[in-house]
Amino acid sequence: MQLESARADRVAAIVLFAIGMASLYGGWAMDRLEVRRIHPASIPGLVPMILGLLLAVCAALLWLSARRERPAAEGGAGMESWRDAGVALGLCLVYALVLVGNLSFFWATAIFVASFVAVFGGEGGPGGKALLLRLAAASGFGLASSGLIAVLFRYAFLVRLP
Amino acid sequence: MERLTEFVSALAGFATLAALFHVTWATLLGIFVGSLPGLTATMGVALLTTLTYTLDRDTAILVLICMYVGAIYGGSRTAILLNIPGTPASAATALDGYPLAQRGEAAYAMALATAGSALGTVVGIVLLVLLAPPLGEAALKFGSFEFFWLAVFGIVISGQLTGGAAPIKGYIAGILGLMVAMVGSDGIHAHVRFNFGLSELNGGIGLIPAMVGAFGFAEVLTVMWRRRPDIADLRRGADRVLPRLADLWRYRWTIGRSGVIGTMVGIIPGVGEDIGAWASYAAARRLSPERDQFGYGSKEGLTAAETGNSAVVPGALIPALTLAVPGSAPAAVLIAALFIHGIRPGPMIMLEQPDFIYSVAAMLFLATIAIAVYGLALARVFVQVLKVPREYLMPVVFALCVIGPFALTQRLFDVWVMVGFGVAGFVLRQMNFPMPPLVLGIILGDLLDKNLRRGLTLSDGDLTPFFTRPISAVFVALILLTILASLPAVRRALGRLLPAGRRADR
Repeated sequence: MQLESARADRVAAIVLFAIGMASLYGGWAMDRLEVRRIHPASIPGLVPMILGLLLAVCAALLWLSARRERPAAEGGAGMESWRDAGVALGLCLVYALVLVGNLSFFWATAIFVASFVAVFGGEGGPGGKALLLRLAAASGFGLASSGLIAVLFRYAFLVRLP
Repeated sequence: MERLTEFVSALAGFATLAALFHVTWATLLGIFVGSLPGLTATMGVALLTTLTYTLDRDTAILVLICMYVGAIYGGSRTAILLNIPGTPASAATALDGYPLAQRGEAAYAMALATAGSALGTVVGIVLLVLLAPPLGEAALKFGSFEFFWLAVFGIVISGQLTGGAAPIKGYIAGILGLMVAMVGSDGIHAHVRFNFGLSELNGGIGLIPAMVGAFGFAEVLTVMWRRRPDIADLRRGADRVLPRLADLWRYRWTIGRSGVIGTMVGIIPGVGEDIGAWASYAAARRLSPERDQFGYGSKEGLTAAETGNSAVVPGALIPALTLAVPGSAPAAVLIAALFIHGIRPGPMIMLEQPDFIYSVAAMLFLATIAIAVYGLALARVFVQVLKVPREYLMPVVFALCVIGPFALTQRLFDVWVMVGFGVAGFVLRQMNFPMPPLVLGIILGDLLDKNLRRGLTLSDGDLTPFFTRPISAVFVALILLTILASLPAVRRALGRLLPAGRRADR
């Protein structure tokens, strides 16, 4: 599905409407702190309720405006774009959520950067030598950039690295 | 005269080798960041904020302002050479800059962009020095009712102007930002809201991790999504790299007008540089005798766009300093940085640190000199910057996105927040939801929440003072007009009245 389309807007409208209603309910069900005898107009759930209602109204308007759009406006996103963004997202998620915290920051970053360069820098020839060269360049760049970032934050900005 | 003396005295305070060294590297880094498609001013300022924790207050803010000014200016390089704005602020620049580059006048287009940016910032600085102190003093009269409406006005106008053809998406982005600000301990009773059982959320969602995610990680994904651009075919050496004084004199009214428009757009909360550039461009086209050349390589159009977007920078800092309401997304990050470094922006700044406004004006002035020098001296060198492959740059940027938020609190949780905002920001951007209202919502959420409930408590639940106090009434009228202007029928009528301004909607 193309994200810049009427159909995507309709799906978004439904999700946003649900979020709005959830916020409205969350604000309504929130503790009103009666035990602390606060002014009833200053209950913590007041603004979440208002925002939830407004979001639900805006989501309904978005759904209506998307319904009026012609389906011809929808186009297909390039598969190449989806693939590149998806692979980049996967690499970034593995790095930020798995590697960082489980490996030392230096090695986590070096592996991530090297993998990223190796995956996306693949425009050389298909031969084994070209592949080896690409992997060597990716590894060298990964180690160098990771070392630089780690040293910068550890010693210049005195950050205890994860 | 007194303000000029204050400004000169602040400028003299930065006349040290250390300060000049920081101006030199930070502005250069800013131009580098702005030049590269995918690296925006907001991302640059957010990432650099994480590197300034250990610097002293003035140096940290100086470095961030130089990054901001440099990045907004740097965006013109890619707009002219690739027809892809380095930052959204340079979208209008590409309209005339790229045709000029195709005609073999790329270096001269960059020279004009440099002059326009420098002069636009200077106009903005003058207005900052003139307007910020009285605005700060006027803000001292604001009570809870007025601050509530100010926050609402900020979200509405930002949503309206950045939502383009679909203001509803701008409003939704603003509401989502406000909802994010509802997470954590509330500002009046310290009651924890929407923490979903996670103690890390008790203090709310950190602005820096959210910004780094929404502008850093989301940009990394967006850059990987895009196809590789082609650099314009340049006939290097064929044109000059210094602007002709005759051209600048010919466009003096355009420069002055664009500077004023840009600054005024900057003052409007959460609108930003791109709208400043489009508004200046539309005004120049309407009034220019050579309007038929606009869009086909008009030097006046290029100058107007660049003057307009750069003048937004000082303009955006006026409400940021005096009301704690950012005029643009990078200014929102600057507000966070000010708090980190112990400066409390808002009306009290005129009582607590009145000289700080002049210090900011002096910082902007130094950054302006730096972009003028770099822009004119290194016009050809910057072309090489555009050749850095994305597969080498983006993983390094993402590694900085990870370590930057972690450095502030030493919590991996903030890295996860950054990742969450990055993915959400990418999806929202792909769906044409603008980011500035979202950021503004996160910043203004607390202000809106506290002042609505405080105002209601003061009036014992009566809504009347929200509408009858003079400043509140003005805000209500402005908000209603803004919402009315977003209705399709009204927009069509306005479009018929102002045909030349349509391009500003793009």
